[in-house]
Amino acid sequence: MEPIVKKWYEYLEEGKIMGMKCNDCGQVNFPPISACRKCRSRNLEWTEMSGEGMLLMYSTSGYWPGEKFAPYAPFAYGQILLKEGTIFATKVDGVPVSSPEEIEKGNQGLPAPVKAKIVDGVGGRKVVVFEKA
Amino acid sequence: MAKNPCIIGVGMTKFGNVLETPEIKDKTFQELLAEAAFEAYDDAGISPEEIDAFIVGNMLPYTSLSNSQATNASDWLGLRCKPGFHIDTACSTTLTAIGVARDMVASGKYRNVLVTGAEFTNSYVDEETVFPLDRKPLSPTRLWNWTDYAVDHNFGYQHFYGFDVLNGVSGLAYMKTNNVSFEDYDRAMLQINKNVRLHASMNPKAIMYEQGTLEEEAEREGFSSVEEYWKSDKNPFIGWPTRRKSALNYADGASAIIVSSEPKKYKKLPIEILGFHYAAYNWPWDGSADVVAFEGAYKMAGIKPKDIDLLSVHDCLQSAHLDTSETAGYFEKGTAWKAVLDGRTRFDGDKPLNTSGGRHGLGHAFEASAGADAYEIVKQMRGEAGERQVRKPIRIAVQHNAGYALHVAVAVYRPGK
Repeated sequence: MEPIVKKWYEYLEEGKIMGMKCNDCGQVNFPPISACRKCRSRNLEWTEMSGEGMLLMYSTSGYWPGEKFAPYAPFAYGQILLKEGTIFATKVDGVPVSSPEEIEKGNQGLPAPVKAKIVDGVGGRKVVVFEKA
Repeated sequence: MAKNPCIIGVGMTKFGNVLETPEIKDKTFQELLAEAAFEAYDDAGISPEEIDAFIVGNMLPYTSLSNSQATNASDWLGLRCKPGFHIDTACSTTLTAIGVARDMVASGKYRNVLVTGAEFTNSYVDEETVFPLDRKPLSPTRLWNWTDYAVDHNFGYQHFYGFDVLNGVSGLAYMKTNNVSFEDYDRAMLQINKNVRLHASMNPKAIMYEQGTLEEEAEREGFSSVEEYWKSDKNPFIGWPTRRKSALNYADGASAIIVSSEPKKYKKLPIEILGFHYAAYNWPWDGSADVVAFEGAYKMAGIKPKDIDLLSVHDCLQSAHLDTSETAGYFEKGTAWKAVLDGRTRFDGDKPLNTSGGRHGLGHAFEASAGADAYEIVKQMRGEAGERQVRKPIRIAVQHNAGYALHVAVAVYRPGK
């Protein structure tokens, strides 16, 4: 088996957000994995993600951040239903986080379309976040 | 005669902080385990010679100063040269181990198996001194750095994962799924906290026992009402819409459970393990592991949700009183928040929930916690729960634990004959 995690982060460096499509059941696995999350098949191949999704909800981080994310706090963290059908969770830009009232109001406007973007992560590698238009 | 392997003895230490709580102050990993196990031996009226095997739970070697935990514990438990091993499914471990012990006993090779677990979450041992008495206070940030090794570090954790947002997202998911307003969610979360503090105020083993009820604390803090205290900056949002008091309180402690195929030989009412099941998966969760674990345990036990008289859910996030109790079938979908507000989930209600105080009131000593939940169910079934004894007969009890991140374990119990 080829290294999957290293390859995925290398794809991000090239500007590509990749998932793994199951050739047996058609499930698009994101993030990539060694066996299909739906049917357990190992018959998977790399596929480029659309980067499109719907933000379902978001809360904020900053009360007990992991040390590595402290510089970003407070930031929005949300669950995104990807166009390809699975849920991913990451930092979300373009939504209000400055007060509980704003977060409540921001959540009332959901679900709303969001678009993926590749940014510098805290560990020196690229990571994927989403942005609301 | 009970057909299934039974719990014949239970024990647990006071949950607290080994740097300051008198009952457990200055005790090491092995001493906490031994204290819980000896209470269980005495509770059952069993000698260590009769224990045929043992399982030890412990998640954080940085704080326990132990790898190969069963080896380190063996002599201290009075179990020198007995078969023992360590397992780790994070905070569900001691319930996972109760299932493993049940099957070991059912195989016929072992008659009595001890399940024990201990954790330190408030202090750690310096890498320089590596001496168990040289403990330093542990910050929540550092605790979570170590605890978060249970979260997928390939992808999930790198993408801004944190325990704080988990509190927020779990609450939001309940609100959005069930069309519950923030005001109603917040009222329900306050009532849950009042319940678990009330339960803890009647449980001398609880970390919050000495603090009394939430109402008493609000008055001590100078607030005219508990509602005002709840919404004050003494209780900030950990991740909107969830406030700090709706999360766990970190505890140190240990628990011990003895599973037997020969319950009649021992002195206490045996508690039958009717069924159990587990399910494991990675973040982000969609609730499916909980469904699989509940369904598997109910099927093995041959029960329906309407049979449940007492429920224990894993409430490091207290929104579990709402969403997990509904997944368990204890309440219809979308109705748990109303049941909570009606007082039905208090120890004296018709749907008692987490009568020990749970992970906020009793405190959360990670891999000791599921054993502490089993301890509470056994005490309640025997009628030994004192002031917090539920007010109705308990024919069926269900225990749910969620090991980070995420291993769900469920067990079904009934009083043996």
